[in-house]
Amino acid sequence: MAIVGSNACGKTTLAKNLNGLLRPTAGTVVVAGRAAEDQTVAQLSRVVGYAFQNPDHQLFCATVDEEVRFGPVNLGYPEDQIRAKVEHAIEAMSLQSVRKLSPHTLRLSNRRRVSIASVIAMDPQVIVLDEPTTGLDAGETKVLMENVLRLNREGRTIVLITHDMRIVAEYASRVLVMTNGRIVLDSDPRGAFADLDVLRNCGLVPPPVTLLAHRLAKLGIPKDVLSSQELVLRIVLEKGGAR
Amino acid sequence: MLVVMSSASMESRTADGEARPRPAKFVSPKTVALYAVLTVLATAITMTLVIPLPNRGYFNVGDSMVFFAAFAFGWRAGMICGGIGSAAADLLLGYGFFAPITLVAKGTEGFVSGVLGGAWKNATWAKVLGIWAGGICMVTTYFVAEWIFFGLGYALFELPWNAGQVLIGGLIGLSLAQAVAVYRGTSSRAV
Amino acid sequence: MSGFVDLYTASGTILHRMDPRVKIVSVVFLSLLAIIITELVYLLILAAALAGLIFIGRASLSKTLIALRYVLRVMVLIIILWPFFDPHGTPVLFEFGLIKITLPGILGGLETAVRVFCLAVVWYILMFTTSQGDLVRALVKMGLRFDFGLSLSISLRFLPTFTATVESIKDAQRARGMELDKGSLKKRAMNYVSVLVPTIIMALKTADTLSLALQSRAYGARADRTYLRELWMRPVDYLALCISIAIFAIPATAKYIFSVPL
Repeated sequence: MAIVGSNACGKTTLAKNLNGLLRPTAGTVVVAGRAAEDQTVAQLSRVVGYAFQNPDHQLFCATVDEEVRFGPVNLGYPEDQIRAKVEHAIEAMSLQSVRKLSPHTLRLSNRRRVSIASVIAMDPQVIVLDEPTTGLDAGETKVLMENVLRLNREGRTIVLITHDMRIVAEYASRVLVMTNGRIVLDSDPRGAFADLDVLRNCGLVPPPVTLLAHRLAKLGIPKDVLSSQELVLRIVLEKGGAR
Repeated sequence: MLVVMSSASMESRTADGEARPRPAKFVSPKTVALYAVLTVLATAITMTLVIPLPNRGYFNVGDSMVFFAAFAFGWRAGMICGGIGSAAADLLLGYGFFAPITLVAKGTEGFVSGVLGGAWKNATWAKVLGIWAGGICMVTTYFVAEWIFFGLGYALFELPWNAGQVLIGGLIGLSLAQAVAVYRGTSSRAV
Repeated sequence: MSGFVDLYTASGTILHRMDPRVKIVSVVFLSLLAIIITELVYLLILAAALAGLIFIGRASLSKTLIALRYVLRVMVLIIILWPFFDPHGTPVLFEFGLIKITLPGILGGLETAVRVFCLAVVWYILMFTTSQGDLVRALVKMGLRFDFGLSLSISLRFLPTFTATVESIKDAQRARGMELDKGSLKKRAMNYVSVLVPTIIMALKTADTLSLALQSRAYGARADRTYLRELWMRPVDYLALCISIAIFAIPATAKYIFSVPL
């Protein structure tokens, strides 16, 4: 699930309510069937893992291995379980080659992966990723999102806070569009990108491919195209049909 | 130590016959930046991080920064940044009149722990000795000052708190110095 | 325990407009005055006068109380604890074993508490009528070397940033299950290492960037540096300076040379 919106629209505030870092001033938050207000952040972190936007805010250990261990150790798991979870997390984020290094010697994309791995190791049902692709180039983004997709296929819910509409189009199955602290749209990406005006009011622009599809709407191309392959397919179908 | 900067200077002439101004005798920009950052760390942490104790008191964690600065960057950093940073916290928290006392207390704490901690090739036990000696300086300074200004009763009351705070701060500061040494040993980006 | 990072509240009162160097000197003299006065009556008069100055400086009552909250706690403790250690004079109000509470003992505690109040108020007035930039300018003008003053300015500029970063890091580690308010004292202390190490590393990286920024702006290129904002003493500043010195000098001579009971 992706949460999108312009800056300061409330995406991070909403996400931080999910693990108790922020508490609501009105209403209740229910996480996995239990009210959040009865649980501490540490308790909620067993269910909802939160990877912060700036990985440097979380990295402090001497090696990547210790860093990934930090979460499950805090949660009090027995040693054999900790080892299993750490192995799984390191493998999930493809960090085997750097696990004995100091996190601070790594480049940003790898530091991000370490930070996310340390959250995975706590074995949460839901993982919140706050702007994970900021500062990454296209190649690094793809590698990261492939790893995230694998986690999703394991059965974990991924909440992705992002500005990057392209990865929303490519990976998200549900999109929440927010502005001024309210959710204005909650649908699948096709439905979300179909309405240009709503998006523009929130300071958002759909991926270039979708914009192009909108322009080509007069030619009969549907507006909810999400990828370039799909656009090509549609154009071919249209042209084929017109003849 | 008053240094008056005047514009009258012994100027040498460049090849075009223009006067070349004399460069300033300042500390290096690296030092300015480092000391600024260490000082503000001491202030920020003294002001924001406190360890609440079971019986409604609290320790503030600022001493850990004094020790860290002294162990990681030398006695000058410990004395100047730890002293000024802690004193600034006093000014900003509403008991500014105590700032000169804190300046002396934490300044000597940083000086002594830095001098001792760096001796014997940075051995850990030297640092522990430094924590004890620096801690004694700090606690004694505060005790005497509190006796004079707040009375013997108050000074005795605060004595165990100050002592405990210094020991906790020393424990944290030592761990910090060790943890950050790993980072400083690997300061260029690799993988 | 988050308070105001800056006690300063901008305003146009006469106290705000005074030259900061004069204010610093006045604070020193007023502090000395509070120290040499020992009679409760005169201390109370001084306290009232200083409270009046707060009023002139137009500080809000709530902000002042928040700023002075630690001092008020100290005052209460002094009043309670002092008499146990000052058993001089008569009349004796309570006696039990080694404990002897006398009326002069209680008064001694009150005097000390009021003195602490005066000292705190004097420095508080300095802090809320003078911006941090002006304070540093004053120190440099009074002789602090420019590079030290620059380091100090940089520290002040980064204080709100670093405070926010510490909070953010605390949150990030809490999201990993670290609990700062549970466990033995030692465990709690070591939890802070997980907050402090990222903070320090970010600080050191900031320092690296800063030193590059300083170098690329010709730091130290010339000894004869000019300043954008200069401090000039006006006649009213000199007047204030004389008043401050007199406020201390007159009672001091009265007490020490003419033995007036102050």
